[in-house]
Amino acid sequence: MSEVKSKEFQSASKAALNDKGLQRLLGRVVHGFADLRDAAVEEVTEPVWEQLRERARSIKQQTLANLDYYLELVDKSVTRNGGHVHFAKDADEANKIVLEIAKRHDVKRVVKSKSMVSEEMGINQVLEANGIEPVETDLGEYIIQLAKETPFHIIAPALHKSREQVSDLFHDWLKSQPTNEIEELCRIARDELRDKFATADMGITGANFIVAETGTVMLVTNEGNGRMTTSAPRVLVTLAGMEKVVPALEDLATFIRLLPRSATGQRISAYTTFLGGPRSATDEDGPEEYHLVLVDNGRMNVLKDPEMREVLQCIRCGACLNTCPVYQKVGGHAYGWVYSGPIGAILTPLLVGMDEGKELPFASSLCGACKDVCPVKIDIPRLLLRLRGRATEGGNGVKGSAPWIQKLMVRRWFSSVKTRQAMNRSAKLGRLLQRPVARGGRIKRIPLPMVSGWTQQRDFPALAPKSFSEVWRDSLDKP
Amino acid sequence: MTLLPDEQAKKEFLERVRTALGRTEPLKHVPDHPSLKMELPQQEQKVRTIQAKNEARRERLITALLSRAEQMGWRVNRVPGPEEAARAVAEIARDAGAKKAARSAQDIFKRVDVDGALRKMGINPLVLASGRTRHRSQLKGLSFEAEVGITGVDYAIAETGSCVVIPRKGLSRMVSLAPPVYIALVEPAQVMESLDDVFAIRRMQYMQNNGRDTNYMNFISGPSRTADIEMTISIGVHGPGQVHLIMIG
Repeated sequence: MSEVKSKEFQSASKAALNDKGLQRLLGRVVHGFADLRDAAVEEVTEPVWEQLRERARSIKQQTLANLDYYLELVDKSVTRNGGHVHFAKDADEANKIVLEIAKRHDVKRVVKSKSMVSEEMGINQVLEANGIEPVETDLGEYIIQLAKETPFHIIAPALHKSREQVSDLFHDWLKSQPTNEIEELCRIARDELRDKFATADMGITGANFIVAETGTVMLVTNEGNGRMTTSAPRVLVTLAGMEKVVPALEDLATFIRLLPRSATGQRISAYTTFLGGPRSATDEDGPEEYHLVLVDNGRMNVLKDPEMREVLQCIRCGACLNTCPVYQKVGGHAYGWVYSGPIGAILTPLLVGMDEGKELPFASSLCGACKDVCPVKIDIPRLLLRLRGRATEGGNGVKGSAPWIQKLMVRRWFSSVKTRQAMNRSAKLGRLLQRPVARGGRIKRIPLPMVSGWTQQRDFPALAPKSFSEVWRDSLDKP
Repeated sequence: MTLLPDEQAKKEFLERVRTALGRTEPLKHVPDHPSLKMELPQQEQKVRTIQAKNEARRERLITALLSRAEQMGWRVNRVPGPEEAARAVAEIARDAGAKKAARSAQDIFKRVDVDGALRKMGINPLVLASGRTRHRSQLKGLSFEAEVGITGVDYAIAETGSCVVIPRKGLSRMVSLAPPVYIALVEPAQVMESLDDVFAIRRMQYMQNNGRDTNYMNFISGPSRTADIEMTISIGVHGPGQVHLIMIG
């Protein structure tokens, strides 16, 4: 599996905040995506949009509730199409399957169209270690592959790179002339990748959706690299998380209406590609052999977890990243793994484990903007809160991190607000106790071991000299 | 030499899914999902209704398609008949400075004499399909050399301004993809109102063929594009940067 650095969220986000170039770029581009999305939603009108979201949520929920049935149906349909369906427990198993397919066909070069689950797997490193050249063909993925980085954004992996940086990368790796023209940079990449498409033995794609009834994988792309990858090589492998299934072809209409609008503000992307097996005997071209690899890699535990299951509805559009005030400032790399932003703050601890990912659910102001834009209506703030609960109090196989004194204080606080009298008494006591530390209505530092963490990242509001009920009573007393 | 799936791993995987859902047995019935419920006769009835609906408002659908297609970046041209269509194709190829134009071997080219019109302009027509003189393995290379690609379509979708192309014998996947200029020839009866219409038809065809339908399809909705560098739109990455939709009639 690919490396997880989510424990370093604090330091990595500080570094991002201090990176002036990055901040300039972030300010411009992330808001741009959010604006495009809003305009596209406005065009279909709010009531229609709400209907679409509701339908999408219900299709996904229904499919997840019967996922055993639908996965078996996917297996049957793709097999009938002439393809092979593999089920992989984790990243390692999935990597082994892909590597074995490649070896059996004596594959030297692999062209890849974008796949987030392949980022989870770290398949490129595995292929390289075995003497096979993996080539990312989505322009953004290609750039970060050259830069040896991870995706900065779910749908725009190289969002953090300026044209100058891309030009330098191309100059270093492809010996191209430096240029400031984005068109020219695209042309350089196109020429370079044409050659790869012409000579690659194997293609790897991700999947936006898999239709159970017909075994159809749907890919949403704009550049045409997805079409090239599924047309040119003789062996084709699709990698997909096990949650990508929808029941029937007609369900796709809803998701096509939601996904590009939420992701890039497009009514539909340039190419919507459907595949599901090798070419037929009479087809002019297409792969001779087709494999679909369905990957668990932590998802089974989420399916089992009724509080968290809805996160498997996610269609990876990136809208929650674009609208998130935290992502807008710290960017994608601070999150330390494949997925960033609000959805990454949920997926990372769930897929790689709370030990590695527990910093992330706290990286949110819980403002709820993510929930408003989510095309499948995932209640992101609620899930973040529950994960915070698990991280501190423990639960669901997680050992809580809160020290005993903090737990005691929370219990004390709870009993102190249960009745009016108790609350008045506690307020009086609190005002007395805060005297040494409260300045100008704020407590900046609590100089006690174990609880000092409360004021490490923010000030604590001090208790007012008089409570509201006291002010109220006093004002009534006055004539 | 094919790597066959590990059937034991598959079984165990599905059992784990079942356990995660709190079930011990497989489902006895098809889950209650509206899109799955319809059997073939009902699906055929549904498609007949769709066709009748679209037939009744053909002209309005064509207007809607052309205006949406234009918004999506197609260059749109409506011509009265096959002769004008052939001429329009040749003019586009000439304006693109093409020397070689590749086309598929679909029936539409029996009605629209694209080859003749191209030759008149001194452009070499190239039929990108395997046959007695051409092996499959040559198609990829030839498609990379052509400057223009021309195909008919299976459907066009007014809702999204898309051309639906289903590759098959005579229609290579590469013709509408590799050359920098692409021309789609569309006929009025092919225009569908919505995505739902096309998926309903495709599901019907799939059922009619007992699931032995073609595996591949593309909705083409404008030129190839990217915004991966600084979110700035750039046209024509791996696919054609210039796309033309010619409506015949």
